[in-house]
Amino acid sequence: MKKNDKDEIRILAFLCNWCSYAGADLAGVSRFQYPPNVLDVRVMCTGTISPYFVIKAFQEGMDGVLIAGCHIGDCHYLKGNYMTAKRFGVLREALKFLGLEEGRLRLEWVSAAEGEKYADVIRSFTEEVKALGPSPLRKKTTAKAEVGA
Amino acid sequence: MSDLKTIVREKLTGGADAFLCLKNEEGTTLPALITDADSPELELVEVGDSRYPLGKILINLLREYPDKRFAVLVRGCDERALIELSKLEQVDLDRLVMVGMACSAEEAAACGCPRPYPGDVALGEKVEAAPGREVIEEVESLAGADRMEWWKKQFSRCIKCYGCRNICPMCFCKDCALEDPHLVEPGVIPPEFPSFHIIRALDMTGRCIDCGLCEEACPADIPLRSLYRKMQDIMEDKLEYRAGESVEEKSPLSFLGTEHDIEKLEQEERHGR
Repeated sequence: MKKNDKDEIRILAFLCNWCSYAGADLAGVSRFQYPPNVLDVRVMCTGTISPYFVIKAFQEGMDGVLIAGCHIGDCHYLKGNYMTAKRFGVLREALKFLGLEEGRLRLEWVSAAEGEKYADVIRSFTEEVKALGPSPLRKKTTAKAEVGA
Repeated sequence: MSDLKTIVREKLTGGADAFLCLKNEEGTTLPALITDADSPELELVEVGDSRYPLGKILINLLREYPDKRFAVLVRGCDERALIELSKLEQVDLDRLVMVGMACSAEEAAACGCPRPYPGDVALGEKVEAAPGREVIEEVESLAGADRMEWWKKQFSRCIKCYGCRNICPMCFCKDCALEDPHLVEPGVIPPEFPSFHIIRALDMTGRCIDCGLCEEACPADIPLRSLYRKMQDIMEDKLEYRAGESVEEKSPLSFLGTEHDIEKLEQEERHGR
């Protein structure tokens, strides 16, 4: 991804260490093609993702946020992703009430064996976010940032 | 009111070590802790029409005096707050005696409370009120981009006085996310959208007991109550939970998962495939 391309969509993906991060790795070693608009953040479990992190990501100008973890029943910590599932529904509705398109936030279950699914998810999510365009919460480029560029 | 005075005396002689209520001192309403049935302060106690988050004081009192029992004057909202606080391990209901008072018809109508009376009413007459939904309906009639503009306009009036948090009976954290420089940039007024207000709204989800003190305290007339009310609607819709109602049932956001959650989610996933 080019550093200062203003029109390029940026997506932040929170991937759980045990399933989805390994799934993304598998997509890489299997050479499945997917768009380069995603920045990964590896977390030990999706259950550790506070809704604050998602808010912060949007505040910092991300156009979409993906949360990917183990399938229900497969959590390495047994119940971590139940928390994620519960939080996610509430968070998405809350953001919708405040006027953010619901398509900008997505939850997917991707196992360590699902490299192809990971690539598919990134493809379809990137397309969806591209259709929505840059986030209305993106900060206007400040003078400071321009000098730095 | 002589009625309240009698009740305070009754409770103090009948097992409670102190009675927490409001007093009227030279025209100003203040919280009062009466510890003695013969206290001259007893002459000043009053039901009045002011509200005060007495639960906030109780959290500290219960902690400071772990072997004492307290009686407290509660309105419907105070009772809901104490119930929710007990599930969050902030108050011990076993050491509390709640003396219920119902809000008057004028108070209830002005406040728009979902339930302007506690479970047991010792003072006043029960009246019903209907919570206002005008703001929520107005917001929902707007499309995505207009909706965000509408909220941005409301939040742009914020002077970051923290009044909403300070008055909130459900806010008790020692480290507040609103003061975390990584989440809310210090020194920026009005606070950036969506940081400050959205963080508060999310923290209120499954917790707000709809007392409306935040909106009463807000000097900028931001429709906070409607925002938090909507969060409770979402909570009920998604997770079948409403704060302040059951003494036993905890907010689904405060634990990982139960058998019921697991079955539901597994079913959903099977359907999704």
